Amino acid sequence: MHENESGGGPEGDGPVLRVRGIDKSFGALQALKGVDLEVRGREVVALIGDNGAGKSTLINVLTGVLEPDSGEIVFEGERVEFTSPHDARERGIETVYQDLAVAPQLDAVANIFLGRERRRTGLLGRLGVLDQQRMRRETDEQLEELHVRIPDPTKPLSTFSGGQRQGAAVARAVMWASKIVIMDEPTAALGVAQAGMVLDLVRRVRETGIPVVFISHNMPQVFDVADRVVVLRLGEVVAELDPEKASTEDAVAAMTGSLRGEESA
Amino acid sequence: MADNKTGQGESRARRRLAIPGFGSAFIFVILAGLVVAFSIMEGTAFLSAENFVTIAEDGSELLLLAVGVTFVIITAGIDLSVGSILVLSSVIAAQTMVALSGTPEQVHNFQFPNQGVGIPVGIAAGLLVGLACGLINGLLVTKLKLTPFIVTLGTLGIFLGTAEILSGGTNVPYVPTAVQTSIGTRNLLGFLPVPIAIGLVVVILAMLTLHLTQFGRYTYAIGSNADAARRVGIDVERHLLKVYTLSGFLAGLAGIIDLARFNTASVGAHTLDNLAAISAVVIGGTSLFGGIGTIVGSVVGTFIPAVLRNGFVIGGVQPFWQEVAIGIVLILAVFIDQRRRSAEERM
Amino acid sequence: MSKVTTGKGGHMSKVTRIGRRMSRREFLGVASAGAGVVFLGACGGGQGGGGESYRLTLIVGVTGDEFYTTMECGAEAAAKELGVDLNVQGPEEFSAAEQTPILNAAIQANPDAILIAPTDVTAMVAPIQSAVNQDITVVLVDTTIKKEELALAGISSDNVKGGMLAGEALAKQIGEKGKVMVISVKPGISTTDQRQQGFEEAIKKYPNIEYLGTEYCNDDPTQAASITTSTLRSNPDLKGIFGANLFSGQGAGTGLQQAGKEEEVSVVAFDASPTQVEDLRRGRLDALIAQHPNDIGDKGVRIAVDYLKTDKEPASKQITTGFTTVTRENLDKPEVKEYLYKAEC
Repeated sequence: MHENESGGGPEGDGPVLRVRGIDKSFGALQALKGVDLEVRGREVVALIGDNGAGKSTLINVLTGVLEPDSGEIVFEGERVEFTSPHDARERGIETVYQDLAVAPQLDAVANIFLGRERRRTGLLGRLGVLDQQRMRRETDEQLEELHVRIPDPTKPLSTFSGGQRQGAAVARAVMWASKIVIMDEPTAALGVAQAGMVLDLVRRVRETGIPVVFISHNMPQVFDVADRVVVLRLGEVVAELDPEKASTEDAVAAMTGSLRGEESA
Repeated sequence: MADNKTGQGESRARRRLAIPGFGSAFIFVILAGLVVAFSIMEGTAFLSAENFVTIAEDGSELLLLAVGVTFVIITAGIDLSVGSILVLSSVIAAQTMVALSGTPEQVHNFQFPNQGVGIPVGIAAGLLVGLACGLINGLLVTKLKLTPFIVTLGTLGIFLGTAEILSGGTNVPYVPTAVQTSIGTRNLLGFLPVPIAIGLVVVILAMLTLHLTQFGRYTYAIGSNADAARRVGIDVERHLLKVYTLSGFLAGLAGIIDLARFNTASVGAHTLDNLAAISAVVIGGTSLFGGIGTIVGSVVGTFIPAVLRNGFVIGGVQPFWQEVAIGIVLILAVFIDQRRRSAEERM
Repeated sequence: MSKVTTGKGGHMSKVTRIGRRMSRREFLGVASAGAGVVFLGACGGGQGGGGESYRLTLIVGVTGDEFYTTMECGAEAAAKELGVDLNVQGPEEFSAAEQTPILNAAIQANPDAILIAPTDVTAMVAPIQSAVNQDITVVLVDTTIKKEELALAGISSDNVKGGMLAGEALAKQIGEKGKVMVISVKPGISTTDQRQQGFEEAIKKYPNIEYLGTEYCNDDPTQAASITTSTLRSNPDLKGIFGANLFSGQGAGTGLQQAGKEEEVSVVAFDASPTQVEDLRRGRLDALIAQHPNDIGDKGVRIAVDYLKTDKEPASKQITTGFTTVTRENLDKPEVKEYLYKAEC
């Protein structure tokens, strides 16, 4: 689980994750063309682009949902291949999908530990008996530490609003991520206050040394929290912007193609 | 994400009659209400330990089916073949017992010298058949990726047809009577019929499994959002295989109990058992959409129609009215439960 | 800026209100369910004044079958005449698993006597034994069980004789030569097995009649119809069918109509339900062997009440009732009409 590290990500100064020359096609449609991307420790990278730019496809490649046609993925200096989301998760990459991937009839504790349940020790544990108290306690602790407020972790998520469900999904990813957190439109369905909390959470994650990559359409939020903004257009990386120096207009221009090449004036 | 915790706490206490693992308490209220009503109307004819034991015993087979089907329906699946599995298991168990308990002449003269071997092997055979049928259902659902409704509708016919082929359409004769005397009509400790004892054990084990173990949690998770379960690494297909196998096994066990109670495998019967089991589960508060349900609910759901029938027969109500009443109770129970649930969710 | 309460506050109060309203609804739901039960019990019930009159329960083989409905009519008429209470119950499916809970509940009501048409010759022995153990007089109507000595008496048609009558009627219809078959319910039911037996004995006497055998339709007229149509496909020269009970005969008639063979194939069916009588009129069936279920019900009640009053066992423990052969020609004659089955009393 997520431990409160103050150190950086990997040993040495290399990036946590680097992809080079990623191609991915679906039949005749080329979704990704020679994409290069780096994710370093302690940073928040925003991935933006118009619809069909290839953002979700790239995320799916990074998280093992899809395998690239060509190109390489280097994780902590080591070349890897993700054949399933399981592989990525094993390495400490946690994802918050756009559709949240939560089980609404289960409560927050159950969702957070889904697939990673704590069992009791001894014979009971081997029979599969869950240690519900321990999971509840760990959930409370972690949520406390991350300043995440879920109204009642023992009520089914279906009784929460969309925003609260999102909070639980984000908390789940953050609690388990040991290397990278990836989020696909994490604030899309949220009101201002709740979105603010998600962004705060993103910052807190960064503080622990774990990088966050997120897709968003919301320019103000992107520029508020990201350290780097990577712009995709038609499957290629067309720009990498420094939000302190560039403006939202520059971003939009890069997205829609009225600007080419790197702009980091 | 901060919330007005106190305000919510108050309304939560007011709203929820639920107890963890016990689901909605409302159906208890209905069952209790029926018991009270019939007791008032019919006095000790209805309100007697003997009557309740009879109701429990008569409902013991349906109870097993309902427990198995509860697991299946919680995964958002369904099993329409449970009645047929019951019949097929009882046929194979009966025929095995008859074949192994003596030579044909001995058996036709109701002598069963080898029943010490014949009966246990027959029981094992019946249980194995239940297991195998459940496994077949599970494989068809997970490998062929057909909806459970279609699969189990098909296996309903296949299993029943197989039973009819094997038995020639007859109820299997010459089953050793020891099956009936040592299991079907025997009372443990002088008062507890074996079928009820078996039902109790199964219910307790099922409750523990569903609410305390990983197996139970995965059952709920898959019913709630199978895709999410897959994405966190749960082997959904393998789990569903186990769930359908469990349902088949319990149907097989019900078949053994049926054989023991009536000393024959009843081939033409149990045609409506699948609907009765599903009704029991739904009355009990399990959602056909998956992710929600309890074993206790299914137990109560099994006995609401049973109590209704019993009370009406004792009271002399015409049979057709009984069916109308049961239908009304089913709809009422589900309607009210759904309203409460959507009130909870509407935030 | 005005202090706008957040969505949460508004949501909370809305939810609280729904919560309170729901509890009232719940209460109404329970109250109406309870009231409904009491109401149904009161109006459908037969828990009469008690005191002097005897209480009898009749448990038929399956509800909705006009044979049993007619039996019920006969039993009710006799009960009324003798001034006893009669409660009629029955399962939806002709099976021991369905009939047993009903019998068990009936036992709980502790009637003075139970009249029952057992649905399985073996399986119903144990539950009937338990009725006898509780000092309830049991009379078997129509079908019987292996341990028939448990009962005070058994009343049924002489089904072997009925089957023979059917055989002779069918032989006559087809001019004493051709292929014939039997459609029965399922092996193990005493009544239909005996009819089959009688039929087979009767047609043995006709050297030019070829007997194709017996098929079982499980008391399902749809199955009987498909058995008929498929037999016709493999034996297009089939000349006669004997339907051993109500649903078998009905289904055979339907099957012939589906195959368009009503003219060529003769059907003799057991029992005379309104549908069968219609089929007879229209030519789909050619003769009906009507039992006298009215008499069975009537005699069942009388025997039970006699015993209850006098404590003397009946002279004969096996009572048989008669048959009437019904054809298109005699259908409307009063002495035949009274034996046609009723759908309601």
